[in-house]
Amino acid sequence: MIICVAVVGHQNNPLFIQSFTEADDALKLHHIVHCSLDVVDERVNNPKKSGSMINETFLGLLYPFENYKVYGYLTNTKVKFILVTTDLDVRDADVRNFFRRFHAAYVDAVSNPFHVPGKKITSKTFVERVSTIVKSFGLSSAG
Amino acid sequence: MVREVSESCIDNLIRETIDSYCNRFYADKPDLAARKIEAIGYQVGHQLSERYTMDRPRFSDHLEAIKFICKDFWSELFKKQIDNLKTNHRGTFVLQDNKFRWLAHMSVDPSSAHNVNSADDNSSPSAENIAAQAMSMHLYFPCGIIRGALSNLGIPCAVSADISNLPACSFVIRIKA
Repeated sequence: MIICVAVVGHQNNPLFIQSFTEADDALKLHHIVHCSLDVVDERVNNPKKSGSMINETFLGLLYPFENYKVYGYLTNTKVKFILVTTDLDVRDADVRNFFRRFHAAYVDAVSNPFHVPGKKITSKTFVERVSTIVKSFGLSSAG
Repeated sequence: MVREVSESCIDNLIRETIDSYCNRFYADKPDLAARKIEAIGYQVGHQLSERYTMDRPRFSDHLEAIKFICKDFWSELFKKQIDNLKTNHRGTFVLQDNKFRWLAHMSVDPSSAHNVNSADDNSSPSAENIAAQAMSMHLYFPCGIIRGALSNLGIPCAVSADISNLPACSFVIRIKA
């Protein structure tokens, strides 16, 4: 199950963070996302270490944290997407697919002429679309 | 899904926008009008670059990003690529489009068609100057688009345009160190 997704701007400013848990653990999730930013920087600056294809947008598993797994994605416009999940055996293809759809949703959200670049994303449509994508992620990995 | 845009509608929209800014909103302040039009272009470029770079690997250097502008980005906007790219390898790039679509239906009074520089044209308003200035106003929008796209890709730059012989048009990109 995905418990948190976040969008972080190019100056490491939070643009969007949404948790999908009942519990009151927003602070903890913020912390996890915050920690992952350093890992993203490291991956980008030392691409050889990570083993993944150089300059790919999908950064793969950033780090495991207690019983969570944190995945990252960096767009060409230096915007980072962070995904926190509790699933232990996640297929890379599922995560890639998730990020692709999430990216499409993000692009549509920032193409709104009323959206101010670099400010938080407040669009309700975006929130709805993200929860749809998050829900379908659970289904595809279960099946 | 391919979405199509009517070219004549876009042409007219841009022309009207420029006309409104130059002759109505900021009639006596051409510099301010130019800045506003450039800002609209900036936002457009900013948003388009987000969309068009979606399925691409990240760019490793400036040249790759500029090449993306010349090829894919230009094809999306104008259905053709930039015809000629020159660079001094020190942060200045010249993109030449031999038949710039947004200027294809325009012509300048032949007496004023010699080397019009869009960036600084503040001499006394003679007839040819007015024509040149009107022309240069139409180039702030595409300049803004290029600047917006590149800034969003993490390359702060200044873009100016030069129309020496219509409908060819060249854009000069100076990357800020």
